Amino acid sequence: MTRLSSWAIRLALVHLGVAFTAGAWLLAARGFPTLAPPSWLRPAHLELALLGWTLQLAMGVAYYILPRHATGAARGSVRIAVVAITLFNLGVLTVVAGAAADQSAALLAGRLAEAGGVALFASNAWPRIKAFGT
Amino acid sequence: MPSVTRWFIKSGMVCLLAALVGLVAMPAREFLPFPAVVAVLWPTLLHLLVVGWLTQLIFGVAHWLFPRRTREAPRGDERLMWLAWVALNAGLVLRLVGEPLALMGQGAGGILVASGVLQWVAAVAFIVNLWPRVKAR
Repeated sequence: MTRLSSWAIRLALVHLGVAFTAGAWLLAARGFPTLAPPSWLRPAHLELALLGWTLQLAMGVAYYILPRHATGAARGSVRIAVVAITLFNLGVLTVVAGAAADQSAALLAGRLAEAGGVALFASNAWPRIKAFGT
Repeated sequence: MPSVTRWFIKSGMVCLLAALVGLVAMPAREFLPFPAVVAVLWPTLLHLLVVGWLTQLIFGVAHWLFPRRTREAPRGDERLMWLAWVALNAGLVLRLVGEPLALMGQGAGGILVASGVLQWVAAVAFIVNLWPRVKAR
C-alpha cells in the first residue's frame, strides 16, 4: 500500500469513528429528546459518513489498486494526489465547521474544496482506468 | 474468503434487499393497505442501505483484502471482527424496531440508545482491528 493510500484510508477510518459517534448520539436523542444534540450535528454526521468515510476510502483504495502506468510515475503525479486528498479533507472539515457556525460562506468554501479535491484526484486517476496491456 | 467476511457480505445483501422492499412499500402505501408505520420508514431504510449494505460490505471486503498484519495473525484479531458483525447487525435490528416506534411517538428510547451504542461498538472494533493493517510498504 502506498503512503498516500495509507493516509487517506486512516483519515477515512477517523471520519468513520466520528461519524458513528455522532450517529449514536442522534439516534439516542430520537428516543430521549432531552439528549437533543446541536442542530448542526446531523449535517456533520452526513458529511463525515458519506464523504469523509465512504468516498475517501474509495479514493484511497483506488489510488493503490488502479492499473499503474508502464512508464514514468507508476500512479501518476504523487503531488497532485497529495493536494487532492488534502484539499478534500480540508473541505469536509470546513463544511462541518460551516454547519456548526451556520456560515453559508464556509459551507460554500468547503464544498468547493471537496469538489476541487475530487476533480484533481479524478484527473490524476483517469489515465489509469484502462484495459490490461494498454 | 474468511468466514466473517462471508457473514458480513451476506448480511449486507439481506439489508440491501430489506431496504429495497421498504423503498417499494413506501410509495405503494398509496394503493395498498399497508400499516401506518411504513410512512415513517425513510430514515431507517436509508441506514439499512448505507450502514447495513454499504458499510457492512466495506467491513467484510476490507478485512479480507487489506495487507496482512503479521505472518502469525494475517488479519489481526478475528474476534474483533466477529464482535463488529454481531454488534452492527444487532444494532441495525434494534434500529429497525425502535426508530419507527419512536417516530410514531411510542417511546422505544432505550432500544434506540442500545442500537446507537452497538453500532458505535461495531465501528470501533473494526477500526481497532484494521488500523495496524493500513500501512505503507
